[in-house]
Amino acid sequence: MCHAPAPHTESVTVIANERVAPGVGLVVLEAPRTAASVQPGQFVHLRIAEGADFILRRPFSVFRAGGGRLEILYQVVGRGTRVLADAEPGEGMDLIGPLGNGWRVVEGTAHALVVAGGLGAAPMGMLVEELARRGVAVTLAQGAPTGERLLARELFEATCRRVACATDDGSFGACGFVTGLSADLIERDRPDVVYVCGPEAMERVVATQAEAAGVPCQVSLERLMACGVGACLSCVVSTHHGRKRACVDGPVFDAADVLWEASEDPEAHPAPDPKPPAVAAPDPAAPGRGEA
Amino acid sequence: MSAVDMRVRIGSLELRTPVMTASGTFGSGREYAAFVDLSRLGALVTKGVSLHPWAGNDSPRIAETPSGMLNSIGLQNPGVEAFVANDLNWLATQDVPVIVNVVGHSVEEYAAVATRLDAEEMVSALEVNISCPNVDAGGMVFGTSCPAAAEVVRAVRASTGKTLIVKLSPNVTDIVEIARAVEAEGADAVSLINTLLGMAIDTRTFRPKLARGVGGLSGPAIRPVAVRMVWQVAAAVGIPVVGMGGITCAEDAAEFMLSGATAVAVGTANFMDPAATVRIADGLERFCAERGMTRVSGLIGAARQG
Repeated sequence: MCHAPAPHTESVTVIANERVAPGVGLVVLEAPRTAASVQPGQFVHLRIAEGADFILRRPFSVFRAGGGRLEILYQVVGRGTRVLADAEPGEGMDLIGPLGNGWRVVEGTAHALVVAGGLGAAPMGMLVEELARRGVAVTLAQGAPTGERLLARELFEATCRRVACATDDGSFGACGFVTGLSADLIERDRPDVVYVCGPEAMERVVATQAEAAGVPCQVSLERLMACGVGACLSCVVSTHHGRKRACVDGPVFDAADVLWEASEDPEAHPAPDPKPPAVAAPDPAAPGRGEA
Repeated sequence: MSAVDMRVRIGSLELRTPVMTASGTFGSGREYAAFVDLSRLGALVTKGVSLHPWAGNDSPRIAETPSGMLNSIGLQNPGVEAFVANDLNWLATQDVPVIVNVVGHSVEEYAAVATRLDAEEMVSALEVNISCPNVDAGGMVFGTSCPAAAEVVRAVRASTGKTLIVKLSPNVTDIVEIARAVEAEGADAVSLINTLLGMAIDTRTFRPKLARGVGGLSGPAIRPVAVRMVWQVAAAVGIPVVGMGGITCAEDAAEFMLSGATAVAVGTANFMDPAATVRIADGLERFCAERGMTRVSGLIGAARQG
């Protein structure tokens, strides 16, 4: 596993910040130092707001990087991302980055399947561009609740050999989950590798499909995170080699190494009181690092 | 810069600045070496180290709260032998006093870790953690009763001649009596406060935000509690107090020293600003210089003198 150069702190400026889908924003940051060194699948730890009320930074995957700029896809899910959504061009922030172990591209890869569920598109921009640059044929399977929530379609259409979409309501592409697409694409095409990011339950299904077909699979996992540099042990992922830190050992893991049973899943920790939520909880695992 | 003498003394340990790291927030220092010149710290206090590896608690392990955060890491660590082989040997190449935070499930385990670390020249002092709220056996169990706290400190004291700091829990009726009990057993200093036991519940899912349910509250939210406890303990014991709890800037550090702390530790603030420790150390020096002080130690307990 390669280790990126040491992370740094960088003062960055918001260049643009637009809503690209319901509840989803794309922020562009002027961040020349980070943009020059970030690798596909890595993330930055953003200080969104000053003051004692924001104790923690927020981790965000880098969607694209180039020309001194970073693009970040984020979902508005909590206090932090609400503040980010209000950030105006010209505003300053700072970040720590680039952080983590990103996607690994093995020499000789001819055909890759990239599976993105919802905000799982967030770490995939740089990946598909890197794969295309290396001449890898990329099939992208993308899922979302509705067609308007399929993110970054222009980039994916332009970069990938083939794009297959599924929506829960059938408003675009196949009606159903992206795991239906991935099942077919893994079984039929036998790609050399599967890259997956999305809600953890979906990642697990895709990982199981890949394993059954004997195809190596990498997953990007999301955890609540404090330090981002490997010190505080907040963001651990259970693996066959013990508890690993999502911030420095991940966020990309070999799917075969992940112990899904023990990994973060609110349902895996039933409260003593069996009373069910009155309202279905929003997906707590919305990846793309759009944490509260 | 200025000619302020920033040195303070904890037991046999002379610190070049009163600002150190708080255990559990700074790893073993290596994780922050890209952001902080470690040689500018008063001391580096490591994560908690046990006799055998501890796996820690399930995720989620943290939750952000008003001006603070909850954690329930559960002292995950690779055990003392792996710590010595990996972390301590790296720290040996750094110019910073190392204080190792020691944890155990039993008095015997605390003593065994202390004995092992006593053999390591690189270790300047031990911080005996009898105050972690996130483990079922050990930790805070020892820090919430005078006889239990005394028993741990007695056993560790017998195992090492190194400077001994005892980290106290705020989750007690009277922290002063615990401080007196560990002083009587030969502690060279006390550090306080560890986190306050707390909890947060997700109203969307009807579930606790932490997998373990309860956790430890840290950050600026707890600072007034911590300052009050330092004020009380510093008045009651004859050994130095290391103050901590929500320090984010030089003024916060000064507040603890004015209330009676000889040194301070920075914890949660490292997460927002990885260079917080050095920023606060520099700021504290400026704070003194601006007031015409020649020694930082002049701050210690100065609030008491009216």
